[in-house]
Order: sequence, then C-alpha cells, then structure tokens
Amino acid sequence: MAENANKRPVVLSVNELTKSFPGRKSDFLAVDQVSFNVHQGEIVGLLGPNGAGKTTTIQMLLGLMTPTSGGIHYFGLPFELHREEILKKLNHTSGYARMPWRLTVLENLNVYGWMYEVKNHTEKIAELVDAFEIKSFKNKRFQDLSAGQMTRVLLAKAFINTPELVLLDEPTASLDPDISLKIRNYILDEQKKRKMSLVITSHNMHEVEEMCDRVVFLNKGKVYAIDTPDGLAKKNQNCELQLMVRDGLKRLIEVIEGHGFRFSVSKRYIAITLPEQQVGALLSEMGAKGLQYSEIEIVKPSLEDFFVNVSKK
Amino acid sequence: MNIHRIFAVLLRHWYNFTHNLDRIVDAFYWPSVDIVLWGLTISALQKQGQVMVQQVYVLVFSVILWNIVWRAQGEITVNLLEELWSENITNLFASPLKVTEWMVGLSLMSLFKLTLTVLLTSAISLLMYSANITSLGIMLVPMMVTLMLMGWAFGFFVAGLFLRHGTSVQTLAWAGAFILMPFSAVYYPLFTLPLWVQKVALFLPSSYIFEGLRTLMQTGVFPMQSLLYSNVLNAIYLSLAILYFFRSFEKAREKGLGHLK
Repeated sequence: MAENANKRPVVLSVNELTKSFPGRKSDFLAVDQVSFNVHQGEIVGLLGPNGAGKTTTIQMLLGLMTPTSGGIHYFGLPFELHREEILKKLNHTSGYARMPWRLTVLENLNVYGWMYEVKNHTEKIAELVDAFEIKSFKNKRFQDLSAGQMTRVLLAKAFINTPELVLLDEPTASLDPDISLKIRNYILDEQKKRKMSLVITSHNMHEVEEMCDRVVFLNKGKVYAIDTPDGLAKKNQNCELQLMVRDGLKRLIEVIEGHGFRFSVSKRYIAITLPEQQVGALLSEMGAKGLQYSEIEIVKPSLEDFFVNVSKK
Repeated sequence: MNIHRIFAVLLRHWYNFTHNLDRIVDAFYWPSVDIVLWGLTISALQKQGQVMVQQVYVLVFSVILWNIVWRAQGEITVNLLEELWSENITNLFASPLKVTEWMVGLSLMSLFKLTLTVLLTSAISLLMYSANITSLGIMLVPMMVTLMLMGWAFGFFVAGLFLRHGTSVQTLAWAGAFILMPFSAVYYPLFTLPLWVQKVALFLPSSYIFEGLRTLMQTGVFPMQSLLYSNVLNAIYLSLAILYFFRSFEKAREKGLGHLK
C-alpha cells in the first residue's frame, strides 16, 4: 500500500516545519524541522510519546498556530496563501476541541453544514447521523452527551464536507469497542471509495497497525522514523520466546545467562527476550543439551514495543 | 466575504440565544430593570416637584441609548467568550471561516439583538412614563448608529484582550463599558462635571451624543458638529480596535488557538 501510495499525488507536503516558543532563558523547540508527505488515499499515523510535538504539528497543519519556519503545502498549494480554498477540502477532530454546549447535536451539525457550504446538508447530516449512530441523541444538547457520544458528534462534523483529507486526533478514544470498530470501518470505507487521505494520531497501537499505511514517529520534536507499522516494529529486533520447560529449567537458565539474554520465570514457564534470528540457534542448543519443552510461543516485535523503546530514550 | 459562513455564525449565536437564559437576561432583563429603576426614581423626584417632565424624558431616553453602547460591546465580547467556554474556537478557525466573516457575523447578531433590546425598552418607557423616543425624530437614527459603532469599537478592543489573555480577564465583557459611562455625560450635563472629567469626555464619541440629546430636547435641533466630532472619533477608535483585534488574533495564533482558554 505504501509503495502504491508513493505513485499517487501528494496531498500534504510538510517541509522542515519548525515551531519554537520563546522562553525566559532560551527558546523551547517544540517541533524541529519536521518533514513528511501524505499521498492521495494514504492513511498516515502521527505517533510519538507525550511532548513529542504531535499536537503542535497538527495545530500548524490546521492553521491554528503559525510556524516559526518551514512550509506546509496542500494539494500543491502553499497553505498560508490558499487557506480558504484548502480548508474547504479539509476537516479535523482534535482532543482540544468541543462544540457549543447549549446547541443540540443537529443544530451544531447544521451550523457546520453552512460553514463548509455543504450542498444538501440536511441529507448529508442524515447520512452521518446514521453512520456514527447518533440518532438516539441527535436532539440532545452537546453538554448532556457522554464523552463517547461527543467523540461521535465531532467525528460526524469531521466528515460533513466530504473532505479529501482529514486530520483525526485520537479518533476512537473513549468509544466502546463495537462503536469504535464501526467507525473505523466507516472511515476505511470512505478512504477506499473516495481515495480520501487521513492523518491520525492515536495511542491505540493496534488501531494504528490496522489502519495506517505509514507512520511518522516523532520524538522530542523531531522525526525519529518514517516507515510502515510493520517496518517500525521490525526496527526492534528482539522477540520474546516463551517456553514451558518440563525438565532442566536450572540448566536452561545457565545457558541463557551464558548468552546474556534477558528472561523471566514463572513456575515452569520462562520468557526469554532475544534477537529474532537467534531463536533457531538457541532451540538447537537446547536440543543438543537435552533440555525439553512442552509448549512454545514466539511473540514477534510489535509497534507498541517500538513505541515503548523510543519513549524510554 | 462568504454569505453562507456569515449565516453560519449568525445561526450559531441565534441557537445559543434561544437556549441560553443568561443571554436572554443580558438582552432583555437588565436593560428593562435599568429603565424601570431609573424611570421610577426620576418620576418620584418629578412628583416631588424637584425635576420637570422633560428631565424625566431626557433620563429615560439616555438609559435607552446607553444600553445601545453596552449591548453592542457585550454582544461582541460575550460571543467570543462563548467560543472559548465551549472550546469551539479551533473548530471555527480550522474551517474556511475568515476572521473578517466572523466579525461581520458577530456585528450583525449584535445589531439584531440590540434592536430587540431598544424595541423593548422603548415600549416600556412609552407604557410606564409616556416617553416616546421616536419623538426625537430622524436624528434618533444617527445617534443610535454612532453609539452602536462606539460599542463595537470598545467590544473589538476588549475581544482583542481576550485573545491575548484568555478568560482570565472575562469580567471586562460586562464591566468594561461602565468605565466609559461616567465620562459620557449620560445622566447629567457635561458642564456639571469636574474639569478633568470634561477633558476626558472630549475624547469619547458618546459624550457628544448625550450632550446633543439634551440640546435636541431643549431646542429641537441636534448640533450637527457634535455628530461629526463623535463620528470622527468613532472612525479612529473603530479602526484602531479592529487593527488591535487582528493583531491579537495573530498573537494568539503564534501561541496556538488550541491553547486559548
């Protein structure tokens, strides 16, 4: 998918985007020369630990914050010069945005229907009410909704103008698993039908692995890595070998210690962290030394492992 | 300038107005209380022979006209606060909405709501004190427009402060205009005030209007020079206030509108 995506037109191009905030002693560099592209129909995850610069980057991408330097181009046009034209084709949800509290869900969507000049917006709202399962609370005031219901309304707003690019900050946070799955499917359907592009931030690594074609991993304001979710996961070369040892656990521990691998033991189970390519050699050595096991499981490195490892740095 | 987006701003605040008791109270209750209290006080003095009927009218009309300044300012500032309170400002400005369209939307909403306020307070003054504000004639229109423009100028200046300092200075949305009131000669002629107050009053568009009101009621003629001075001042203040508002918006964007609370 990522390779195919690279042949498609670039809808978002971020070039050496930098944001610094003046401090008393020195400036604080929140985003440091971040560059990446998003192609038509591509879903890109913007990941990173807290303070990595994700929110600052998204605010700049939406025009809510002025960059210190660097450029943002949408659909080949510079954002600062074509703001109105670009924002008509864009939409977003973010963790720091809500909607007018006293307006009902339908009133809020109606306001944004006008704001984005949506033709037949009554029909569009009806479609979104259905897709995001809003019907049961469409006449409730925004202030009376649960956190999950608010998220669904904000998502409905994000799709009201049938955008070509959507920036979603934690799109399924606070949603029940079944609703979250339905919404994920709706987003993926829209993406396939209309070649819509998405930039997503999420702390749900499973969601990122499932949805994203590529991940831009930020750390301390810089791009730490750009790759597919699989590619990033494989950057962490260690896997976990889990064994239930019938006989010779003490001898096995001596062997593992000899190699310098990390391990943990619980009753007759042992979990060994080692480079994936050394699993075969270890199992052969165990066989040669008569160390027998009755259960085996190899847990491959995941995006979450990558996230945790980078966050520790 | 896009008419759909301006309508969206109007619709958002119309919905809020119809659902929000606070905003209904701001538009109808306080101006009505004002007119009833001041009207009754001056009527009582009149019955004791301390003031003339015409002075009752001057005061009642002054209350109606001062409410134009107060409401025009309040509509701009409180409607910005509504966006900050409901954390909706990022949704607005990440949409194609331009700052100028938003300002026009707020100004039109302000015009609509203060028209309702003026109609209500005028009706009360007519029913309770037989004071018919339309008796001022055609000059009533430029007087009202001048006061509304002054309210907007002050409103955009205070809204600029909110963009820089957030809701920590939100009390100015209601209290702000009252700083100008003592210098506007609303309830008393300018010559009765201390000299330094008179000097400050020279720089306020409102003082020319309220002085002009008294002249109009005494002589039947509104001094056109006063109208000219007040509108020259209005043009200066409104331009500066709009400039300050734009600068404040850009300042807020430097920090990030998402952080504005």
